[in-house]
Amino acid sequence: MTSSAARAPDRPSPPPPLNVTSLSFWGQTADEREDTFRLLRADAPVSWQPPMEGALMPPQQEGLWVVTRHEHVLEASRRPEVYCSSQGWQFEEVPEDILEAASSIIGMDNPRHQKLRRLVSSAFTPRQVTRLIEQIQHQARQVVDRLLDAKCGDFVDLVAKPLPMWTVNELMGLDDNLREEATALADGMVSYNDPAVAAGREAGQVLNDSLVGLLTLGLDLAAHRRRHPAADLMTNLVQAEVDGQKLTDEEIASFFVLLTVAGNDTSRNATSHAVRALQDHPDQRRTLTQDFPGRIDAAVEEILRWSSPVMTVRRTATRDTTLGGQHIRAGDWVALMYPSANRDERVFTHPERFDLTRTPNPHVSFGGGGPHYCLGAFIARAQLRAILNELLHRAPTLEVDTPEYLVSNFVHGIKHMPCHIT
Amino acid sequence: MGFASSDEVVTYIGGIFKDAFADPEIGPKLTATGQVFRFVFTDPEATVCVDAPTQSVGDGTGQPPPAATMRMAAEVGNAYWQGKVNLPMAMAKGQITVQGNVASLLKLAPLGKRLFPVYIARLHDTGRADLLL
Ligand code: HEM
Repeated sequence: MTSSAARAPDRPSPPPPLNVTSLSFWGQTADEREDTFRLLRADAPVSWQPPMEGALMPPQQEGLWVVTRHEHVLEASRRPEVYCSSQGWQFEEVPEDILEAASSIIGMDNPRHQKLRRLVSSAFTPRQVTRLIEQIQHQARQVVDRLLDAKCGDFVDLVAKPLPMWTVNELMGLDDNLREEATALADGMVSYNDPAVAAGREAGQVLNDSLVGLLTLGLDLAAHRRRHPAADLMTNLVQAEVDGQKLTDEEIASFFVLLTVAGNDTSRNATSHAVRALQDHPDQRRTLTQDFPGRIDAAVEEILRWSSPVMTVRRTATRDTTLGGQHIRAGDWVALMYPSANRDERVFTHPERFDLTRTPNPHVSFGGGGPHYCLGAFIARAQLRAILNELLHRAPTLEVDTPEYLVSNFVHGIKHMPCHIT
Repeated sequence: MGFASSDEVVTYIGGIFKDAFADPEIGPKLTATGQVFRFVFTDPEATVCVDAPTQSVGDGTGQPPPAATMRMAAEVGNAYWQGKVNLPMAMAKGQITVQGNVASLLKLAPLGKRLFPVYIARLHDTGRADLLL
C-alpha cells in the first residue's frame, strides 16, 4: 500500500532516515527530532510519507504529506477552504467515532466553526478576561505557597499541573471534587501512546475509557447547569442558541472534552519546559530577572517557541492544490510539524538559541494563524507570566532534575520532573 | 416500529455479518480481525455472536468466548448499524455498555462503517423501511 504510494511520480518520499511517521521517531528527544526536521526543511520541506504508525486502528490512508517549513505551516493554516479540519485534525488515524465525540470546534469547518467559536469567545468579555487573569495570578501564588511548604517533590504534580487544571475547570464550572478526575481523564486522551501510561492496556482502551469518562462529566455538568445556572461557560453553552437552535447535549459534552484536553496538559508542559529551559540557560534567566516586567512578555513567546507544547496537527485537502512545489490531491492528508516551523532558520536567526529577548517571534505554537488559532492563547500566556513571576521571585533556589518525557506524536509532554528548593 | 421478536433481531443484525462475510472485499478483512464479538440485545432479548476466524454467526452457544461484548437495546442496535450512534457518546449516556476489549471494537470501526449501507439495503430489500432512521 505504502510502497506503491511512495513510487507514484508526484509523491516523492524522503529517504527512510528522514521518516517522521514511525513511533520510534516520536520516542526520541526533541533535539534528535530536530536533526531530522532540519534536513527535511532543507531538502524535502513538503514530503510524502507512510501513514503515522498508530496503535488505534489499521491505517486507511496510503500516506500523508509532512510539512516542516514555517511558511508552509502558515499557508496551510490560513487557507481553511483548501486545508480543512472537519475530516480529522490529528496526525495519527483515529476511529471516526472518537474523533467526532472528542473534537468539537477543532474538528469543524465554516460556517459551523465560526458560529460555535464566536459563542465561546463572546464569553470572554474584557471584564471577564481581567477577572480571569486576576484569578490566575491568585492561584499561581497559592500553587507556589504549596511548593514552598513541600520544598521537594515532583514539579509537574506540585506546580505545572494544578494551575491549568484549576483555570480550565473554573472556567467551565466543574465542581472542585471532580477536577482531579477530569484532569486524569484528559491526560489519558493524549498519553495513550506511552507504554508506561497504558500499563498493559491497549492504546484504544485508554483513549476510549478517558473519552467516555470526560463525556460523562460533560453531560452531567450540562444537565446540572440547566437546572442550576451559574456564572460559567457551561451555563452559557446550555442557554445559547445558534441559528435559533439550542446546542445538543452531545455538542456541549464534546466541547467540554476539547476544552478540558486543550487547556490542561498544554499549559502544564509549557510551564515544565519553561522552568527547565531557564535552569539550563542561567544567562537568560538573569536577563529576565533583571527586568521581569519589561521582559516577561517576550520571554513567554520564546518559551512557547522553544517548547512547542503541541507538536502536530493535520488538515485534509479539499481540492487539488500545490504546497511547497508539491502537487497535493483532493483528499490528501497534510500534517503540520510545529516544532520544525519553530526552528526554521529561514525565519528565526539562530533558531537553536534560547533567547528570551527574541523579537519578532512569529512562532506557531498556538497554530499558524487562521480560524483554529488557539482559543486559549491569552489564558496560557497569563498562566506562564503568573507562574514564572511567582517562581522566580519567591522560589529563586528552585532546582529541577531530569524530566521524564511522554511518548507522543501530538503533545510535547513532561510526565515527571523531580524538584527541590535549597 | 421496532423489531417484533428476538428472531427478527437475529435475522437483521446477524444478517449484517452474514452479508459481510459474503462480500468479496469486506469479508476477508472481517475474517482477518481474528476476533469474536458478541452483541446482547434487550427489548426484545437476543444474542448475536460473530466469530470472525470461522466466519460463523450464532447465538454464542458452542462459540469461543468473545473479545468484547456490547450490550444495548435492540432499538439502539438498529440505529447503530445505520451509522446513527456514536459509540463513546452512547457509552457515556449508558445506552451501550462494553465488556472486554473496547480497543478491538475500535479497530473494527472502519469495517463497521462499510457495513452500514449493507444493513440499510437489507432493510429496504426486505420491506422493513419502517426501521430506517
Ligand atoms: C501553552 C499552552 C497552549 C498551547 C501551546 C496551545 C496550542 C493550540 C494549538 C496548536 C491549537 C490548534 C491550532 C490550529 O489547528 O491551527 C489550539 C487550539 C485550541 N486551544 Fe490551545 N493551546 C494552549 C492552551 C490552551 C488553553 C489554556 C485553552 C483553554 C482554556 C486552549 C483551548 C483551545 C481550543 C478551544 C482550541 C480550538 C480552537 C478552534 O479550533 O477554533 N488552549 N491550541
